[in-house]
Parts: sequence; C-alpha cells; structure tokens
Amino acid sequence: MNIVVCLKQVLDPEIPARDFKINKERREAERGSANLVTSIFCANALETALQFRDIHGGKITVLTYGTVAAEDVLRKAIALKADDAVLVLNDQSSSPDPLQVASVLAAAIKKIDAVNLILVGRESADWGAGQTGGLVAEILGLPCLAFVDHIDLVDGSLRIRRQTETGRDVYMATPPIVLTITNDDHNLPRVPKTKDVMLSSRKPITKWSLTDLGIEPTPGYLKVAELGIPEKNTMCEFVDGETLDDKVATLARKIADVIQG
Amino acid sequence: MWLMYALLVPTLAVAAYGFYHRIKPWFVGKPLDRLDRPAQRIVRLLKLGLLQQKTIRERYAGFFHQMIFWGFIVLFIATTVVLIDYDFQVPIMRGAFYLYFQSFFVDVLGLLFLVGIALAGWRRWWFRPPALVYTKEASLILALLFVIGATGFLIEGWRIAATNDPWGAWSPVGNVIAKISRPLFSEDALLILHRSFWWLHMGTTFAFLAWAPYTKMAHVLLSPANIYLGNLDPIGGSLKPVDFESSEIFGVNSLAQFTWKDLADLDACTECGRCTASCPANNSGKPLSPRDIILDLQKLSRRGEPQAPLIGATVSLSSESLWNCTTCAACVEACPVSIEQLPKIIDLRRHLVMDQAEFPEMMQDALGSLENRGHPFRGTQATRLDWVGDLDIPEWGEGQTYDVLYWVGCAGALVERNQKTVRATAQLLKTAGVRFAILGRDEKCTGDLARRIGNEFLFETVAKENIERLQSLGVTKVVTSCPHCFNTFANEYPRLGGAFEVQHHSVFLADLVRNGRLKPSRAIEETVTFHDPCYLGRHNGEYDAPRELVQISIGKDPIEMPRSRERSFCCGGGGGLSFVEEPTDQRVSHRRAAEAVESGADTVAVGCPFCMTMLEDAVNAKSGDRPVKVKDVAEILWQAVNQQA
Repeated sequence: MNIVVCLKQVLDPEIPARDFKINKERREAERGSANLVTSIFCANALETALQFRDIHGGKITVLTYGTVAAEDVLRKAIALKADDAVLVLNDQSSSPDPLQVASVLAAAIKKIDAVNLILVGRESADWGAGQTGGLVAEILGLPCLAFVDHIDLVDGSLRIRRQTETGRDVYMATPPIVLTITNDDHNLPRVPKTKDVMLSSRKPITKWSLTDLGIEPTPGYLKVAELGIPEKNTMCEFVDGETLDDKVATLARKIADVIQG
Repeated sequence: MWLMYALLVPTLAVAAYGFYHRIKPWFVGKPLDRLDRPAQRIVRLLKLGLLQQKTIRERYAGFFHQMIFWGFIVLFIATTVVLIDYDFQVPIMRGAFYLYFQSFFVDVLGLLFLVGIALAGWRRWWFRPPALVYTKEASLILALLFVIGATGFLIEGWRIAATNDPWGAWSPVGNVIAKISRPLFSEDALLILHRSFWWLHMGTTFAFLAWAPYTKMAHVLLSPANIYLGNLDPIGGSLKPVDFESSEIFGVNSLAQFTWKDLADLDACTECGRCTASCPANNSGKPLSPRDIILDLQKLSRRGEPQAPLIGATVSLSSESLWNCTTCAACVEACPVSIEQLPKIIDLRRHLVMDQAEFPEMMQDALGSLENRGHPFRGTQATRLDWVGDLDIPEWGEGQTYDVLYWVGCAGALVERNQKTVRATAQLLKTAGVRFAILGRDEKCTGDLARRIGNEFLFETVAKENIERLQSLGVTKVVTSCPHCFNTFANEYPRLGGAFEVQHHSVFLADLVRNGRLKPSRAIEETVTFHDPCYLGRHNGEYDAPRELVQISIGKDPIEMPRSRERSFCCGGGGGLSFVEEPTDQRVSHRRAAEAVESGADTVAVGCPFCMTMLEDAVNAKSGDRPVKVKDVAEILWQAVNQQA
C-alpha cells in the first residue's frame, strides 16, 4: 500500500489565549513567540498510517504545502519513520482557501504516482475549515470517508471505521481512497526514538514548486474579509425603582430592549 | 601443622577463584575514571569504611555491625599474631603485649563478636524487618560465624583448663569456660576435646574462608573497595553524559552498556536493604525497590550474559517499576557502601525513552511541551511575566549588565501558587538593592526534567541553547528559585561549557540577611517545620541556609520532622513524577504531608516549587481541622522583612 499523509504546519494552538494576537491589516494571526507545530489531526493521520504500516507494511510519503519552515513538520515525520517526504513550496500567501490548497496537494499526489491511500487530518488546528480532504478526493476523482479513526486491511480491502454522532460506522472499501482522520485513544501521536531524530536531518526532502507540478497559482475563491478575536464584555447595572413592582417593570423593560436589539 | 597448611592452600585457591569470579564480570563494563583524587578517596574510606559513618545511622543494626566488624578485625589480627609467633617462629606473643592484647583485649572483642552475631541473628530470625533479604545463605553465614567464635572460646577454655595456665585469668571468657569444664572433664578428656574442637574450629573457618567470596560476605573486601571507588561529586552531578556521536545505543539495556563501576557496585551490595527502606516510591506501596534492582542485576551479572536485555528481565527491572523513581537519591544517600542506584535507574530510563520511545504518556506530554514551548506545563494559560504584575523588574537585554540573573524557572513562573514565591523573592532582592534582571519571556526550561525522565538528547539541546544565550548576554551569576534549576546550573552546565556562579535563593537571601542588606523584624508568630528539597539537600548538601531563613524570620529554629536533612523524605514530585497521576492510595506526597502535619507546625516551609505544589494539596488533605499552610522560605522571610517596612 502506498500511503500519502498530508501534514499542515500551524501556529502552536496551545499558547495561552492572552498571547494570541491578530494582525488586523493582514487578516492573519501573528506569530509572536509561538512555535510552529504539526496540526494535531494531521499528527493523528500520520499515527494511523504508521500503525497500518506496522501491521501490513507499505510505504508512507508525507506531503505538505507550506513555506520553507514547514520542512520541520516533515523532519518530525521522518523521525517517526515516514519513508519519503515532499514539500510543495508555497511562496504565495498564507491564504486559507481550502480549494487552493487541495488543488496543490492533489497535483502533488498525482506526481507521487501509484498512491492507494491518502490520509488527511479531519481539520486544521488554525482555520478548521475541514474541507481539504473532501476537495482532494473530488479533484482526484476518488471516494472519501470523513472522521475515520481506524483502518485495517481485510482480504485486500480496507476496513474503515469512522466516528459518528451516535457511534461508529464500519465500511469496507477498495483503494484508492481519501480518508480524513479524527482522533481517538488509539491514534495518539507516538514519540520518536532519539536515533531517528538524529538521522532525520540527513534524509533528503523532495521539494517541488507549483511550476514543477505544472499548475498555475490559482486565485483564492475564498478571501478573509475580517479577522478578530471575539471580545467578551460584561456590564453590571443596578435596577432603580421606588417599589419592587417598579424594579420588576424596569428590569422587564431592559430585558425586552436587549431581546429586541 | 603441615596438614593445616595443606588444607589452607586449596582453601585459599577456592577463595581466590571466588573473588576472581566476582570481579571478572566488571571487565565488560565501559571505562570510567574512579582512581582520581586519592587523598579524598582515602578520607572517604576511613569515614565510611573504618568508622562506618553510614552503617551506624541505623541504630540497632549499626551497633551489632560495629561489634562484629571490630571483633572480626581484632580476631584477624590475633590469628595473624599466632601465625607469626607459632608458625614462623618469630616470638612476639610475649609479656605485656601477650597479656593485654592477645589475651584480654582479643577475648573481650571475641565476646563482642559473638554478641554481635547473636544480635544479628535475633534481628533476622525474630524481628524480621522487611528490608532484609531472607536467604539460606545469610542464615548459614551467621551460623558459621557463631560456630567459629564459640568453638574458638571453647578450645581456649579447654586449653587453659588442661594446662592450668597461670595467666588464664587474662582471658576472661576462656577462664570461665575453664572453670566450668574442670570439674566436668578429666585432663585426658579435655585434651581430646581441645584437639577435636580445634579441628572443628579450623575446619569451619577454612570452609567459611573458601565459601565467603561466593556470598555476600565478599563485602568484607569488595565494599571497602567500592567505598574507595565511590562518587566524590555531589549526588546531583552523578549522571553520566551520553556520547551521541559514537554511541549506537542510547542508555543501558545490557550489563555491557554499564560502566565497570556500575558493575562493581553490584558485588559490593550487602543486602542490608536500607535503600529500599528509604525509597519513597517503595514506602508508598509502589513497585520500585532499589535493593532488588541491584540484587537482580547482580544475579544477571553472575549468569555471564553481558549482552542480554535487562529491562523487563525481572520485576524490579520492569519499566513499571523504573517509572516510579522520583530521583530523590534517598537510596544513594542511605547506602553504607557507596552503591549508586539512581544513575543506573536513569541509564535504564534513558534506554526506554531514547531507544524504545516508550514512557508514560503524561511525561511524553511534558517533554513534548518542553520541546515546543520551552516549558513542560502543557496547556497552561499563564505566561512567564504574569507574576511580575506591578513590580518594576528589568529584563536582561543585549548589551546590558546586571550583577545577578534571577532565574525564575518554569514551575515558579507558570504555576499560580509559585508566582507568590518568586514575587516574594524578587521583592526581597529589590529591598536589598540587588542589581538583578530576569530573562522574562525568553527564559526556557533548564532541561532538568528531560534529563531525569531520560531524554538526554533533549536535555543537551536545551542546555546548550540556554548556555549560549546566557553567555551572549554576559551573565556570570545566577540565582534560582528552583533547586532543580540550581542543580542543573551547578552540576550539569559546567560540563557543557556553561560555568556560571549559581546560588539557590535560600542561600543568596541568607547572605543578604547576614550582610545586613535585609532586616527581618522577627515578628512572625508561627511554628514552622522545614521540608528539605531533594535537589537542594541530598543532591547538593545544602541543609542550613533555608533553616537559617526560617530561624531569622520566626526567631526560633524550625521543628524537625523525623525524616529530615539527608534523610528527608521526597515530596513525590521529582524525576518527572509531578506530571504523572499517582494512584490515590500510593501518593508519596500524602505520606510526607502526614509527617509534616504530625510535627505540630503551623507552617510547612519549602524551598522548591515542585515540593510546594505536591505538598500543598497533600497537606490540605491531611491536616483535618487544624489549618496548616505551606510556604516557601522566601515568602516567610518576606513576611518578616515587610512587617518592619
């Protein structure tokens, strides 16, 4: 089985909320002192792939579309014994447009060739649109199952378990297929062995530009119009009135004002 | 006589082979220099070997061991004297020396020897403390030693009786036996008894001599040797670096991966069990026994498979047991013969973490956070500057100079309760007019946690970054609020090229008080007990400065808990354990808190942010209706200083 796991580098989502700042002009999050990390569902996707390979063998290629800094995400995956790594350089913008990202990833997957299984995190830890997996499948003309937390191989077919609101569905599918991966107790990302961390810096990473993939930089279909951190204001007001009935009437009027806007 | 020598030769040959058998496995170990600083080593040998300063800490066992020890030595000298006088025909058993030493003194010491053996037997067969290992070997050793001593007295008594020795009264024990025997036996019978018991005595002695090196009695020679070869550095500096460039395997999972000294440790063990008896994890019912680790490794070492995997080979060497170690070093401190259990546990952990990548999930989280965010407190909403508030504290920028860098530490800055401690410390520094600065947001974990959990690679990475940063800022002196940070700066950074003068805040503040730069009002009406942090006390030998601060602040000495100073009992938070959920009935902190509450103190003083968090919860759980507070020594001092202001 040839597996591609798509990884996304994001701003560490675990920094204290007070440290999270936004650049209103550029309509994006400010890096500040935060680290760049692998988005958590992507890490779950990689773990799912590693567990599948531990049992059934195969080859794992990790793929990311990002800046030069995103190489770090691939190095960490190599330290966990991913076989190959591909970085598609994004020298354009940090546009969150999932269709744009999906078209780049799909082109790269085509170039990787003979891929049977494509794993994508269910959504990213920054924008959380949750569309990339489905769009990659659409562009490649492949089926897609979302919210998957376990994959197995039974008689050459994939046995796929997905989480639902009420429980779990189990599907049998014939590859190639795209799966979006969610988290579960069993696909918590493993930690690398030190030797593998040391060796990971020596492994070559394939770097492609959009030209290498033969695609034009597409204009985003989605533009962020406004970006801000929700502000929470609390006000305290004492209700005046001569008698209790007065106070109740005033309070009722104020509530009605709020409700009616 | 010739028969005796004819028997002595094979006896010594068997004994020598025994020692060879014990020492041979050491040679598979890796090199380590333990022959440096001979003068210090000799002093160590005299203190811990000859004077048995650690053995006598345990009163009953220390007492009888002294009796057996000195009896053994004096009887050995006496035997040598007989050998020289009788067999080599050099007449030295004469006159006053014969009477005072060879007769009287030897007799008394011989009696002490027998009484010592009896007391040891009484303990082993009657009290049966759980620290001991109950083997047939141990029982047989005591029995043989008793037979040797007793038959020695019998043949002496019968000799005096048979020869009517005019100087018999100089051997009091022998003389009593002679007096009892004379009316019971004829002279001929006495001679026969003497002769046959002489052979029994010699036979037992020879058998014992030949057998001893194969048993724990080898400690008579191997333990003093081990004491001489012991670690001369503070315990906090006893972890060995890993050579990442040339090592194929990180950490230890076979005997051959230990150093030769680690292997020598195994043979020095006397099975006394003090390590396990003092182990906080073991005390709270967890499966960790430093004694069993050493003894199991010893068994494996004698099996002669130096490449066989160790982790999981026995219960004591299972990962489940190894992850309970708080790295408090109570075992190392307790060991009378200088065995270093802790570095071995860390070596094995290193293998689990770096080679097998298998360790508790919560520790993985803490180390993952350390790697990504520079601190192990995953999910904290605090920032490194929250504690500063309205205090005007400069951050050390490029090109600036200050006298002191105040290293706040992750646990100090990011855990709400400890923010009060570091705030008090900073206020004291300001009051004393110390020119200090902090790193603020740029401060990162020293790496202690990574090192104690076993990720030496991560430790080295962050340590080197920190050293480089501090050197580029021109920092020379560091004051830390956390004993773990202190230990890393004091004992571990110098090896990586980072030599900074470092003091724990208790030591630095005590100096400020002594120099008159801080003037406490001595107005606090509290009784205080002080809980020694392992990494300040046992690991670095500082017990007095924090007590001095308490004394200055409350005007009287702190109450001492039964286990204090070098025998202090860990809070349970070291070695990464503060990040792990303990089973509710096995919490180390609860045992310590109960002890602190029982001391009757109103306040439990601490000097470590981890002790603070571990003990505060536990003291609340254990103090019942009586309000007992946990405070850092800096908070107590600030209370005393601030009242006057």
